[in-house]
Amino acid sequence: MNLKTWIKTITFYDLLVGMKATMSHLIHYRPITLQYPHEKRTLPDNYRGMLALLRYDDGTEKCVGCDLCEAACPSRVIRVVSAEVPGEPTKRYSKEYYMDMTRCLFCGLCVDACPVDALGMTREYEWAVYDKRQLHLNKQQLLAIGDRSFPVREKQLELQHPNVAFFNVAFKHLPQKPS
Amino acid sequence: MTELSLRLAVSLAQIAAVMGIVMLTVMILTLAERKVLGWMQDRMGPMEVGPYGILQPIADGLKLFFKEDIVPAGANKAMFTLAPILAMVPAMIGFAVIPFGPALTVDVFGITIKPFVISDINIGILYILAFTSIGAYGIILGGWSSNSKYSLLGGLRSAAQVISYELNVGLAIIGVLLLAGSLSLVTITEAQAGGFWHWFIWGARPDGYFPIHTQIFAFVVFVISAVAETNRVPFDLPEAESELVAGFFTEYSGMRFAFFFIAEYANMVLVSCVAASLFLGGWNAPYPGTILGYIGLEQLAWVENVAWFTFKVYLFLFLFFWLRATLPRLRYDQLMRFGWKVMLPIALANIVVTAITAYFFPR
Repeated sequence: MNLKTWIKTITFYDLLVGMKATMSHLIHYRPITLQYPHEKRTLPDNYRGMLALLRYDDGTEKCVGCDLCEAACPSRVIRVVSAEVPGEPTKRYSKEYYMDMTRCLFCGLCVDACPVDALGMTREYEWAVYDKRQLHLNKQQLLAIGDRSFPVREKQLELQHPNVAFFNVAFKHLPQKPS
Repeated sequence: MTELSLRLAVSLAQIAAVMGIVMLTVMILTLAERKVLGWMQDRMGPMEVGPYGILQPIADGLKLFFKEDIVPAGANKAMFTLAPILAMVPAMIGFAVIPFGPALTVDVFGITIKPFVISDINIGILYILAFTSIGAYGIILGGWSSNSKYSLLGGLRSAAQVISYELNVGLAIIGVLLLAGSLSLVTITEAQAGGFWHWFIWGARPDGYFPIHTQIFAFVVFVISAVAETNRVPFDLPEAESELVAGFFTEYSGMRFAFFFIAEYANMVLVSCVAASLFLGGWNAPYPGTILGYIGLEQLAWVENVAWFTFKVYLFLFLFFWLRATLPRLRYDQLMRFGWKVMLPIALANIVVTAITAYFFPR
């Protein structure tokens, strides 16, 4: 042990370096934490939050009940019950649509899988509940989340074809929107 | 009879005042520790209760008061109940001999009282050492009676640690006792009057300015051992959170937990008071006399002295927080090696050197 190391040892030099660091943080006090419920951090643009079912601008559901989201989901969150549109045998829609959000890991694969962009990820994240069953969402709840996170530009229900639902085919015989 | 009852009333009033101040200090410390730790780690600390979280100790106290009191199955109930009391009483009782201010006397209804020290007994420092040792029993018994392996391990560690470091505390102060020639904290503090160069940490003789009696090594040993004795970071092995859950008070809840908590903080305050009294001149200002005395307010000089004592004590308490924010925990063998192979020889050598210098250059 040479003299320099020895002097450093008996004067607790390394401890003093560490204590100087903490003291400098105390003097130049600049907290990096946020007071969460009162102030919230800005989310990144591609934030993947709560899942939601979306609608077209005229208020019809986009979902065509193809089950691809259910197939893509690695955690088996989604369950789709597909059915024919009554009176239009070529068209299908999701009669029931369930998501068990307790299992969801927010990977976004279902959103990627959807051919009609009927699923979206919102920027909601404050979904703590007292009862786990409240995280078992049905179609109405998912549509409601979509409605409040992605409000359609104008909901003109008088223009809505009954059960118009898929591939924009239904828009062909609809009148143009007034400009 | 009336004199006896009057003395009793005065003593009780002093005890109540000191207890109140100590409890208030403990309350301030719980908040100050979390705030200082937060600031040092770029956080804010408690911010919710009251403006900037200053009412947090009250909220914590209320919470602990209303919590359920759980005694684990298989615990020795008598010992389980006794342990928190045994930990807290010695921590509080040591304040009886601490001089908080100058040794002036006040005559009240014909009896003479010393307002700034409850009891000036001639073995003051020995009394404090004795009672802090009893405080270790509270920790050991609490760990043993809980019927939990974590608690037992914490208690065992505490026993070994307190024995190792209490020795160093006792040896480190012997140099001071040699120089002051007294065990009374009042006499020791008065021997350091007249400027900071007379404090025992420097130990300059009254006639000369060369600090031949310096106790700075004893001071370092004392501070390190005091941190270890109060089970604080980096010597917090008895309650090592990451390995022993909470150590000896794992099974405690509610007010019993609060007793252990208060005992820890009261011990910190007590050790800081002792360190300030022994090494940093106690209530003496770092310059001769007092400023208030020089400008003609001789009656109010005690305000300045008490303020200096408070300042020194809080300096030590800040050091406790600072160490906690900086240092990681020692390993167990490192702790023992440091205590017995580093601190103990320094303390012993200090006694020899101080004895020789005090013999040839008496104060």
